[in-house]
Amino acid sequence: MTMAGPSPRKPRRKAKQPDNGSELPVPVARSAPLPTGRPSSSSFSRPAYPLAAFLWPARSSLSQWEILPLILMAAGLFRWAAGLWGYSGFQKPPMYGDYEAQRHWMEVTTQLPVSQWYFHDLEWWGLDYPPLTAYHSWLLGKVGGLIDASWFELHKSRGIHDPSLKVFMRATVVVSEYLVFIPAAVIFVRRLSKLQGVNTWNASIALTAVLMQPGTTLIDHVHFQYNTVMLGLVLASMSSVLAGRFMWSCVFFVLALGFKQMALYYAPAMFAYLLGVCLFPQLNLPRFLGIAVVTIASFAVLLLPLCLGALYDSSRGIDARPDLHGHKAPLPIFPQYSYLLDYRAWYYPIVQQLAQMIYRVFPFARGLFEDKVANFWCALNVVVKLRHYPSEILQRASLLLTLGSITPACLVIFLKPRKELLPVALATTAWGFFLFSFQVHEKSVLLPLMPMTVLLAGKQGLSKNTRAWVGFANVLGVWTMFPLLQRVELRIPYYVLSLLWTYLLGLPPTTLSVYKQDGTASWTSYATAVLHIIFYLTMGVWHISESFLLPPSDKPDLWVVANVGVGVVGFGICYMWCLWTLVIDSGLLGVSESGKRKVKSQ
Amino acid sequence: MADLYPSITQCAVVATAFKVLLFPAYKSTDFEVHRNWLAITNSLPVQEWYYEKTSEWTLDYPPFFAGFEWILSQFAKFVDPEMLKVSNLGHDSWQTVYFQRASVIATELVLVYALSFFVKSAPLALKRPSHAAALSLLLSPGLLIIDHIHFQYNGFMYGLLILSLVLARKESTTLASGFLFAILLCLKHIYLYLAPAYFVFLLRAYCLGPKSIFHIRFGNAIKLGTGIITIFGAAFGPFAYWGQIPQLMSRLFPFSRGLCHAYWAPNIWAIYSFTDRVLIYVAPRLGLAVNQEAVNSVTRGLVGDTSFAVLPEITATMTFALTLLFQVIPLIKLFLNPTWDTFIGAVTLCGYASFLFGWHVHEKAILLVIIPFSLIALKDRRYLGAFRPLAVAGHVSLFPLLFTASEFPVKTVYTIFWLVLFLLAFDRLAPASHRSRIFLFDRFSLLYITVSIPLILYCSLLHRVVWGEMYEFLPLMFTSSYAAVGVVGSWVGFLVVYFTS
Repeated sequence: MTMAGPSPRKPRRKAKQPDNGSELPVPVARSAPLPTGRPSSSSFSRPAYPLAAFLWPARSSLSQWEILPLILMAAGLFRWAAGLWGYSGFQKPPMYGDYEAQRHWMEVTTQLPVSQWYFHDLEWWGLDYPPLTAYHSWLLGKVGGLIDASWFELHKSRGIHDPSLKVFMRATVVVSEYLVFIPAAVIFVRRLSKLQGVNTWNASIALTAVLMQPGTTLIDHVHFQYNTVMLGLVLASMSSVLAGRFMWSCVFFVLALGFKQMALYYAPAMFAYLLGVCLFPQLNLPRFLGIAVVTIASFAVLLLPLCLGALYDSSRGIDARPDLHGHKAPLPIFPQYSYLLDYRAWYYPIVQQLAQMIYRVFPFARGLFEDKVANFWCALNVVVKLRHYPSEILQRASLLLTLGSITPACLVIFLKPRKELLPVALATTAWGFFLFSFQVHEKSVLLPLMPMTVLLAGKQGLSKNTRAWVGFANVLGVWTMFPLLQRVELRIPYYVLSLLWTYLLGLPPTTLSVYKQDGTASWTSYATAVLHIIFYLTMGVWHISESFLLPPSDKPDLWVVANVGVGVVGFGICYMWCLWTLVIDSGLLGVSESGKRKVKSQ
Repeated sequence: MADLYPSITQCAVVATAFKVLLFPAYKSTDFEVHRNWLAITNSLPVQEWYYEKTSEWTLDYPPFFAGFEWILSQFAKFVDPEMLKVSNLGHDSWQTVYFQRASVIATELVLVYALSFFVKSAPLALKRPSHAAALSLLLSPGLLIIDHIHFQYNGFMYGLLILSLVLARKESTTLASGFLFAILLCLKHIYLYLAPAYFVFLLRAYCLGPKSIFHIRFGNAIKLGTGIITIFGAAFGPFAYWGQIPQLMSRLFPFSRGLCHAYWAPNIWAIYSFTDRVLIYVAPRLGLAVNQEAVNSVTRGLVGDTSFAVLPEITATMTFALTLLFQVIPLIKLFLNPTWDTFIGAVTLCGYASFLFGWHVHEKAILLVIIPFSLIALKDRRYLGAFRPLAVAGHVSLFPLLFTASEFPVKTVYTIFWLVLFLLAFDRLAPASHRSRIFLFDRFSLLYITVSIPLILYCSLLHRVVWGEMYEFLPLMFTSSYAAVGVVGSWVGFLVVYFTS
């Protein structure tokens, strides 16, 4: 967003201008048109979409270190301004929402001994994220407690709606993101663009586009969660892969898993890739052992505070479950083997703690899907009432379909472990999980969106084709989260942030320019355009009907169900596109380099 | 010169998105003031507009602004009729908030138009710097803080001012420029401060011949005179007919207020008050008398008379005389050399004089200086040198307007963003001057800008950590004294530039 004259080649130095005594700054005017501004290369003479226009003055004269702080400030401003709106569960007793859950975890972790964290009053937002989230909550709760101890008072602070607490909570999300996701994104974009020969200017555009992604802002900074921490750790892991530092990549990935179990969506592809680099082109045993040892060590370090806390508490005589009054309960998982354990053994608290943590983190006992979510099962439920089937079969079907959907991508990345293929491979498997696994939440769509959006930083990433697809996935993604946002009166930030992003990237509904073909067009590009436009029209019609028409009284969920139906088809298409791109880019089909470029540049 | 990117429209779109996100942000009593005016103008006959006093926020803007509120109220009816009831004090349903906030954004389109007109009318060689200046005004943190958070309609009125200033560029549109300014005066009388420059310019460049001042162009003079009288007649005529002019004037010019506002606007009187505060501790050693009654008056933070403990009292007449004096000096040059650049310089200096020496100046009035100055800040590096401390001081001095925690990141990060972006950009765009620049002044301004960082840190964070709730006036006093030094410094610098170019 800088409008400095692009004329001086050397930044920070005033162009030497002949002192001709004129009042008018003639030299500036004379040197203003760039070489690229000549008609000979007319395709580069004007920015193709507004985001390029905003960074237009930075093309030649600014170093990344001048433009980067500006991008980060602008992104931060939009996040903070969006955060002025309400959050999930605001004044919605009895349970409130995600905001209360996160606040409650700060209360639990700072007020209770470590061993009770995963046991405490599970009915009221019991901790169900892995230990890193607990440690994160503990740290934030400690800091917040210094400001105002009443925010996290045990039991008494439930459902508290202090405006200052809101400021604090919003600030914690921003700070966490600026410490994890944003550095990871900056470094990732930089490495990917260097690797693929993308110039810094385009890389800055891609970075801004990634940071302005409406989905993460709406969910984290408005609706309230800390997804960007997990996504940032995954991105850091991907970034380490680009740098060839596989062990670091494992550390970051374990941390991501330790923050949110949802990172498992990425795990198969990550595993396949890491296995691939150990096997191809030839077996690399030291690398394999290194990766294995580092991964195990990271898990150990991650769990260490929890285990030590459990041991320390038991040595002090603090019971993890004071509610049982000294009685012992069987372990929540594998209860049939509980009798093999000795309650008095020194290691029992650790086993108990880990078993409870795993039980809490993985939703064994819950249904196939919870709310209306745009995945396969929820959509299928409209046609076939799934509750008539035993859950055993459903879980098995879900497992099989998920495995089926992720296997092709994992195979490709395993056989062709090239680092530039990793983002699209991760996106493909995450789409597979989102569509077919059980216990999916609307917000989980952020997982496939993240690696897909960073494709913008790759080769041809800002070409019309990639922009159209990445844009399509993102717009569809936030659209399926609309019912969630609308429940807490967040229509306006939803419209503003998503329209702003589409405007910046020159996407529908603000413009159709991304589908205008320059030069030769192929049938695939026409098909893409028709397909996307049909979806955009549907979404538009849906928005209009949702806001002006009441659903028929016998089908009160009609709009939500329609949203799910359209969403699942669109996501399925996104899955296919990611898989297709992965296969083509990997060269497994023997498509020549030139043919591939032709496909990509459409 | 087609590659002026990002375009004004593009910036306006993104800025609008940001402003819409700010809907739920803190709003000052000015929000209720304007809601009350909507109610008054909508529900009462015109004769009662300036008499109504159910709310303490009585109508104290000139008639055209009341008319503007009446027009807005015609739309407000459809949004929430409750906001149009005079007795509904403090009504702020979300519909009301959305409506009023949206009306600020919509009327700001005048500014967008004025700025694109400014760029369009600039000579080819100046297109690029003009474009940068236009964007800096469009994205001004001053307007963002005052209009879109604090709540006022400055964007709309400064848009008219810019339009009028730009119309003065060409002989053929000078008449329109004068009329527009007259309309502006009937919208908000604060622009009276700039009127002397308009008067001199219109007189010299429009009513008198270009070669000799004894060649009076009667045709022009009559056109201008009738037009302006018609405009003022339309605004004030009805009230004169009803004999309400004294009441109207007492509303527009409440002279009962004190020299300084509760929070000192960064002007000469802030420095004067600061000196007085310091002298309270120093005076006994120097053998000066200290007026004990006055010792605690300013720090109480009430709107009222500032009395000085050591230094002599300042009267309204003195401030008026000083203002006029420092307005007349630049106007002499304008009279002798009525070019557009000099005109803008003179308008800026009139703004400076009234801001620095005026009675009961509000910190928001700094826009009266920053906005016209921006139009010529890129003329050459000497202009830019004087503009820089003003840009920093003027915007930092607005920070105390917003004191809530959730708006703190918005105001600071946005202002820093704007300063980094535009000071870097301006630095590249401003051509070298053919006169040597004042070395020391540049160093002073760099040092000055650097000091702002620890100052903001102290005022916003450290003070509370160290002192808690005690000495609340200290950060305010530091901010305004700091900003006053910058504004005065830039004024002196600009005076030098103005008279030597």
